[in-house]
Parts: sequence; C-alpha cells; structure tokens
Amino acid sequence: MKERSKLWEEFYAKGRVEDCPVYDLHGHMGSFSGAYLPRADADSMIAAMDRAGVRMLVFSSHAALSSPDIGNATAIAAVRRFPGRLRAYCAVNPNYPDIVEAEVAGFDRYRDVYVGFKFLSDYHGIAITDARYEPAWQFADERGLLILLHTWGHSQFDGPEPIRKVAEKYRRVKILLGHSCHGEWQKAIDLANDFPNVYLELTAIPDERGVLEMFVEKAGSQKLLFGTDSPWFNHHYYIGAICGAGITDEDRRNVFCRNAEKLLGCG
Amino acid sequence: MNLRFFDINLYLGRPKRAVYGAVPSGQELVSGLDSLGVSEAVVWHIAQYDHDPVDGNALIAREIAGQERLHGCWTLLPPQTREVIREDFFRRMKESRIVALQAFPDAHRFLMNRITFGKFLDEVSERGIPLLVHLDRGNSYAGVYRLLEDYPQLTCVLCDVGIWGCDRYTWPLLEHFRNVRVETSLLALEDGGVEATVRRFGAERLLFGTGFPDRYPEAAMLQLRHADIPDPDKEKIASGNLEDMIRREQL
Repeated sequence: MKERSKLWEEFYAKGRVEDCPVYDLHGHMGSFSGAYLPRADADSMIAAMDRAGVRMLVFSSHAALSSPDIGNATAIAAVRRFPGRLRAYCAVNPNYPDIVEAEVAGFDRYRDVYVGFKFLSDYHGIAITDARYEPAWQFADERGLLILLHTWGHSQFDGPEPIRKVAEKYRRVKILLGHSCHGEWQKAIDLANDFPNVYLELTAIPDERGVLEMFVEKAGSQKLLFGTDSPWFNHHYYIGAICGAGITDEDRRNVFCRNAEKLLGCG
Repeated sequence: MNLRFFDINLYLGRPKRAVYGAVPSGQELVSGLDSLGVSEAVVWHIAQYDHDPVDGNALIAREIAGQERLHGCWTLLPPQTREVIREDFFRRMKESRIVALQAFPDAHRFLMNRITFGKFLDEVSERGIPLLVHLDRGNSYAGVYRLLEDYPQLTCVLCDVGIWGCDRYTWPLLEHFRNVRVETSLLALEDGGVEATVRRFGAERLLFGTGFPDRYPEAAMLQLRHADIPDPDKEKIASGNLEDMIRREQL
C-alpha cells in the first residue's frame, strides 16, 4: 500500500479524467453462453464508457467468435452507429477457412470499422501457427494492422511458443497478446522485449496483484495496453486496479491512452 | 459524496504461495487502510486456511487486539472434534471481538450440512452471526445451496463470487433466502453486476469487500463510487449494511 496518485484522486472524484481518456483495446459485444452480462448491448456499453471516460472501445462481437459470418455483421452495424467511439476486430474462426478467405477479401470495404483481426485459438482448437490463419496473418502483416490474440500460458494453441513463431515470421503486424499469456508472465515479458511489434494487453491482469508492476518494470509501460473484455468486466474496476498498482502516473497514462493512440493513429 | 468503506473481505498473513503486498500484522494493515481510505474491516488470517484453523483463529484474535477498527473472523471445523467449537465458543468470540465466521469445507475435509453442524448453525442463525463463504477457497456453489437448504435462516455472505459473472448462481439464492448477502470484491468486476443486483434485490443485499491482498482494493472502491445507483444505496453497500449486521448480532 502506497501514496495516492493524482490520477486516482481525479478518477475517484469525477469518474473520468479529461486529459487522460481511456482506450479499451479488448472488448466484445452481445450475449454469451457462459454468463449473464447485464450491459452487453451497444447503447449500454456506450453509456458505461461515458461514465468512465473511455473514449474508444475496440471489440469483436461474441457471436462472431463462434460464427463469424453472422457476428461480424453486428459489429459493423454497431461501429457505424457509434463512429469515433467503437472500432472492431474482424473475428476469424479458422474452422471455416472459406469464411476466413471471404472476410479477408472483404476487409477493405470496412476500413472505417476494422482495425485488424481477432483470433480466439484456444476456443477454436487451432493453433495460431496453423495454415488456416495465414490469409489473415499475411493481409495484416502487409498493411501493418492489429491482431488481437487470445493468449494463455502453457497453451499449445496461443501460448508463448506459438506466439514466438508467428512473431518471428510477421514483423509488421501489431500483435496484441490478449491476457498476456496468463500465468506465464515472464515469457510474455520476453516476447514483448524480443519483438518491437508485440504488445501486452491487460485484461485479466489486474485481477492478480503484482503482475502489472512486474510488466512495467521488465517490459516497460510503453508496451502495455488497457483492456477489459467489456462487457464482461467493469471499466472503473480495472481503472481502479491500475491506479492501485505500484507504478507511476506516467506509466498509467501510457497504459490508459498514449500507447493506444499511437497504435490506432488517433488522439 | 464521501463514502465510508467498511471492508468485509480481506486477510492478514503470508500465504503459502507468495502474494504481492501481503500484510503480516494488524498494525500494518491499519496503516494500509488509512492510506486507502478504508475505515474499518472484518479480517481473517490466511493461516486459518493454509495452516490450521485453531492456530489461525488465535493469530487473528491476537492481531486485532487493540486495533479498534479491525474486527475478527474465525474459521469453523466440525463440532464433533471439539477443535474450534466448544461450550464457551460464543463467549470467546465476544471476548476476542470476533464478529463473523467462515469455513473451508472442501479444503479442510468435512461437509457443511446439518449432519455435521446440527444445532450449532441453528444458534449461529438465531444470533445473526454472518457466515462468510469464500467461493474461491474450499467452497462450491453446490455446497452453499445444500447448506442453505439445511439452514434457511443463516446469514450467509457469498464472498469472492467468481471472475466470470455469477448472477446465475447467486440470484436464486438471493431470491430464496432472505439472509443471503453478496460481497462485492468480484461482483464489482462484472460490468453492471452491482447495478443489476441492486435493481433486482435492493442495495441491502450487498456488502463492500476488497479481496485484499489478492486484489487491488482501489478496484472495488472506484467501481462503487461511480456505480449507476443512487448515492444512499452506495452508502449502504460501502458500510451501512455491515454496520447494521454487526449491530444486530447477539453475542
């Protein structure tokens, strides 16, 4: 336990900090089988973002993660309802290679919507190194897009070892390690240090005290990105956790906004 | 609005597996609470879970002695072994300023039901003593459902309710058992979870907790401070409900 930060005092007093907008780079939208999500529709999510000073959420719809042909359409509609507040990842399910190819082929029609792709390999049971992902990897790499990976420690599908293989192969795509290889923290740090285009995304990290402090010390706050899995997790909860961590306000500003603004080319 | 926080869910001591920023003593915890802006806390000692409830109960009684802002929580074992529960149990609770009980049946290898606890938990129910059930340690939702079938009047506080949204587990209990409460250190993590629960069951059913040192206290504090519920409801959750609960206890 330590001294209060000025950012904490401002967030506590007002709920949001005008000169420190928050960018959430790991979101979803819509209902989900595994839990009741009280605020899963676009209007509720935008209202929640307003309360916490979240300027932008980049998300993939839950439906798209199981069936991309229907889910991505809902994401497109939501982004176009809230331009400037929402952007989307084109969700890719490699179990349907024909749909992957179609999504890649149609990507440019939605450049106002998509910032890149979302892979959920643990859930789809196909490693990120698999050839069925290649059309998306190559497309994203050629254009320097973002790919948000669900990653988890010790996973054969999206753990540190397969990540290292794709990072060695694709040097221009920005690879966002969702959940930062949860549990294999040092290997996530190694990846962030070894590859300039690999970033650590913080969803599920503030649930365990001490990891964020280690990331800042060993990888640097310039490689960290704020994310919440919204509408799963509450923005204020994660903002509070990051304000409670033993890091500086400069680090927090990097996490909340500066790094995302650089990646997204906005701000 | 300046909320007064009364934390029902934090522990002292060093766990078997290292936890960042663990606090070993009551005195250090009080200093930490000052820097956080937490006024009071119900606290237990991790040795009650990791090592032995008997030694751990003695440790927490020692650590809160003289610390008026700290109130203790003891860990139960089956009455038959007479390790924890003996004739003078409630008198010793009062003397040691213990205001809550908890149990870790799966970890400590017993069953939490009427066969094991008989009239003891009837008396706990009648006295209004809260039983904290930590869903991330030695307890399961299935076990809580069975326990409350046996003891429907028990003041049961569901703590550490789960990382994923837990309403499908907790709401049936809130609906059927009027003395069930939910602690907020993980409910606050669920986006809209506190608001939805308050709208459905009322703010009286929630108790503020931080889950320290496993979780950052500032997380649940900031969520509640800016929750989309009326200010009087926030005050009840932050401290009012727990103050009322302790005031009504008969020890």
